[in-house]
Amino acid sequence: MQASDAISTGYGSAKGNYLTNGSTLASWLLTKDHKRIAIMYLVTVSMFFMMGGLYAAAIRLELLTPASDLLETGTYNRVFTQHGILMIFFFLIPSIPAILGNFMLPLMIGAKDLAMPRINLLSLYIYWAGGLLTLYALMQGGVDTGWTFYTPYSTTFSNSYVMAVGLGIFINGFSSILTGLNFIVTIHTMRAPGMTWFRLPLFVWAHYATSLVMILGTPVIAITVLLVAIERTVKVGIFDPAIGGDPILFQHLFWFYSHPAVYIMILPGMGVVSELISNFSRKKIFGYEFIAFSSIAIAVFGFLVWGHHMFVSGQSVYAGLVFSFLTMVVAVPSAIKMFNWTATLYKGSITFDTPMLYAFGFMGLFLIGGLTGLFLGSVGLTVHLTDTYFVVAHFHYVMVGGQVIAYLGGIHYWWPKMTGRMYSEFWGKISAMLVFVGFNLTFFPQFILGYQGMPRRYAAYPEELQVLNIFSTAGASVLGVGLVMPVVYLTHSLVFGAKAADNPWMLPGLEWRTSSPPPTENFDVMPVVTWEAYEFGEENGLDLEAARRSDVVTA
Amino acid sequence: MQNTSWVPFFPEQASTVAGMVDALYFYLILVSVAFSIPVVVGIFVFAIKYRAKEKFATPEEIHGSMVLESVWSFIPFVVSMTIFVGGALVYFYQYTMPENAMEIYVVGKQWMWKAQHGTGQREINELHIPVNTPIKLTMATEDVLHDFDIPAFRTKADVVPGRYTYLWFNATKPGKYHLYCAEYCGLNHSGMGGWVYVMERRDFDNWLAGNASGQTPVEIGKDLFEAKLSCASCHAGGPQQRGAKLEGLYGSTVKLVGGGTVTADDDYIRNSIINPAGQVVEGYQPIMPSFKGQVTEEQLTALVAYVKSLTPNAASAPAAPAASGGPAQMPAANAAAAPKGGK
Amino acid sequence: MSDNHEQHDHMNIPKYVGVFLVLVVGTILTYYAALVDMDSIFPGANTLVALLIAFTKMAVVMLFFMHVYWSKRLIWLSAIGSFFWLAIMFAFTLQDYLTRSEGVFGR
Repeated sequence: MQASDAISTGYGSAKGNYLTNGSTLASWLLTKDHKRIAIMYLVTVSMFFMMGGLYAAAIRLELLTPASDLLETGTYNRVFTQHGILMIFFFLIPSIPAILGNFMLPLMIGAKDLAMPRINLLSLYIYWAGGLLTLYALMQGGVDTGWTFYTPYSTTFSNSYVMAVGLGIFINGFSSILTGLNFIVTIHTMRAPGMTWFRLPLFVWAHYATSLVMILGTPVIAITVLLVAIERTVKVGIFDPAIGGDPILFQHLFWFYSHPAVYIMILPGMGVVSELISNFSRKKIFGYEFIAFSSIAIAVFGFLVWGHHMFVSGQSVYAGLVFSFLTMVVAVPSAIKMFNWTATLYKGSITFDTPMLYAFGFMGLFLIGGLTGLFLGSVGLTVHLTDTYFVVAHFHYVMVGGQVIAYLGGIHYWWPKMTGRMYSEFWGKISAMLVFVGFNLTFFPQFILGYQGMPRRYAAYPEELQVLNIFSTAGASVLGVGLVMPVVYLTHSLVFGAKAADNPWMLPGLEWRTSSPPPTENFDVMPVVTWEAYEFGEENGLDLEAARRSDVVTA
Repeated sequence: MQNTSWVPFFPEQASTVAGMVDALYFYLILVSVAFSIPVVVGIFVFAIKYRAKEKFATPEEIHGSMVLESVWSFIPFVVSMTIFVGGALVYFYQYTMPENAMEIYVVGKQWMWKAQHGTGQREINELHIPVNTPIKLTMATEDVLHDFDIPAFRTKADVVPGRYTYLWFNATKPGKYHLYCAEYCGLNHSGMGGWVYVMERRDFDNWLAGNASGQTPVEIGKDLFEAKLSCASCHAGGPQQRGAKLEGLYGSTVKLVGGGTVTADDDYIRNSIINPAGQVVEGYQPIMPSFKGQVTEEQLTALVAYVKSLTPNAASAPAAPAASGGPAQMPAANAAAAPKGGK
Repeated sequence: MSDNHEQHDHMNIPKYVGVFLVLVVGTILTYYAALVDMDSIFPGANTLVALLIAFTKMAVVMLFFMHVYWSKRLIWLSAIGSFFWLAIMFAFTLQDYLTRSEGVFGR
């Protein structure tokens, strides 16, 4: 530990840090510090993740037996709806951008804070307001429309708390918009001297692309939810054909946001993985520009493919073909990323720390998630597969296997920086492997179930499908253990963990050149960037020789 | 449903399209494996071969390679295009309605499927069909979205409120197959389903004979038209005729008030009963009252069947096309146009 | 930020009131335009007029109230870009509605 000060190439001070700068409740609730806001996001988002996880456990337990016995169908419908709503709107969408992005983005570009710190705090409060309203609705009895809110069920037939939950999502959307806006302005205006666009870490590029989607897509879901509310309350015919509307119009509007929202969830994950793979193989990322621009390409083309959720919905055959074609095109940038990550490993110096294990896990799971996306983009095949467990398995491979794994990798990677403590590497590795194994055991059988035709959102299913469902539930329990473990050992590390060095892995990124945890101002001296992204040699000013000699804690 | 497939956990192939879908599926599995092998092998080999031998090493820098990038952009693009074309061909086959198919009317409601055969037999949550015969379903829903799904046939289509959607298949193997509702429809969604019985022609004829047929859809429609709803008071021929002539209507092109034309298909007839002011035929006054709320979806299909029967060879008239979507006018457009016609 | 100073120079209270008046007049115009039967000229004329008035109001708000008129090119680009996205939404939704009656490739 004592060596760490000597080798920190730093712009940070060893004196106060952002955690010790004020300890009153007001100093947290009224802070403008992006790092404190990120920590508050971390706590809230984790709570929503745990709630969503409990719903998931209830779903898997119900599906252990073919009959609808543990939960009656009405309860089951609410459970899977609320699992979806909490996980998507209150966990997946804010997780990486609002926690890791919020904390790291200013550090990575050498800024003191985001460009609009008050707006950043406002977005947290909006998120809380939306979340509280949604929780209130869940306490009152919840909602049973499925997270997709398809009309006319949601507007005319459902007797659950559609309005309250809809309002919660509506409000929460503004949090996303403000975060996205803040990131874009920050990336444009707050970069440190010498931090040119092509010296930005790929994590920043990914967040730029994500922010574009947030700003351009989120208003549409807000409008759509508003239209549902108008139809429910004052009976203006918009989506319900009984009063002159069109139910398929809802699906167009909904998926115009909700398909790009998938990219809000996965792009930041790709950004994290680009960081992990390059840094833990100490190797310049292969094809930097291709990875950066493939993020932007995914963000833009992601807006043109929403109709692939509607192949059997009654939209025109012509539209189905166009959407299928564009879906195939948008698969290419993801393939490019996959190949570039693999090529980055070539001739690297690879270490197998916990974050890197998550990165490997991501590559394996996202490979399967992405390839099964091709199955679902191929329109003739999707007629059979849509609305079955094949779809469920596919998007869990992308969302959980991709985004959640990347999020966990990122949390472990930056944990020493965020908290100044090292977690137990032993338990970290165990949990990373449990998550990988448990995840595959949970969701791979669902591909097979889906091809056999097991429909989604079924509380009861035919008996011949039970074997694979038992596998899936067994896997879910392994996955559950793997996900609870980090909560335990990460919390434990806050008090008992070894003190983290400023730069435990001797990495070139600016976030590693300040103290751990960083001071409130991030950098005591304005950093000046003279090196390209992902250069691991001496030219970036790191004293590697000293680090090799020292007994610095390397996790 | 006994599983005769040689692959474990693989659904039975029981329609003409099933083989095509499965072929596409296996092609995609092949592509996935071919794509995964270089990536997975690459990850494992590199991870082992280039594991760190020295703390904080600085391996040589490689910036990238334009040639490699081009290759691994181009090849996935070409392969994805083959997948697209394959999918498009199967899709085209799945939703091109065959001519002279045997027609069955299906109405979905929370939470059951009601079917009525052209010969009058009714079933609930069951569907008896003859083998090796193209079957065309004309589907409507009383309430929310449903989806008629038979996995063994590898096809499905949403049933959308406010219009007709269509599904066709040609079963190739006698047996008993699952029927599901695949679009979430509320409380008892997972109970909305049953069985499809595919029978040899002779067994099917016996089944038809053994089930008291009652009235056929056309007869029910005729009864509604002439007696219960008194449509005939305006629409029957003669000097008193105030409503449009219906004989020979189906499949023809109708001129509308205010310009524009529309093909008189199932959806057009349905909409004209529910929302008569929406599309008024040229030369007539918009005086017909709406029958919305007075007729059920089942009665509507019967009325449509009756109006169709007024046109000889109606079955071979316009092949009702579109992805589970008929040649539908969008209901919203109707609603928007309604005030104009009504004034 | 230096932009703040510029903005105060461009707009003042009378100009804000002007924007407000344009909006009020536009709203009143929309109401009366809806009472006139212009659809007899050609179908959809009423809708077109209503949209034109709405578009004018929106343009005034964006250009003057939101200062886009005096802003940098990047701001112009993002303002116009959002319309491009709106166009994508309309075009791709309409490609469904307008081709439904075509059936399978016009059959």
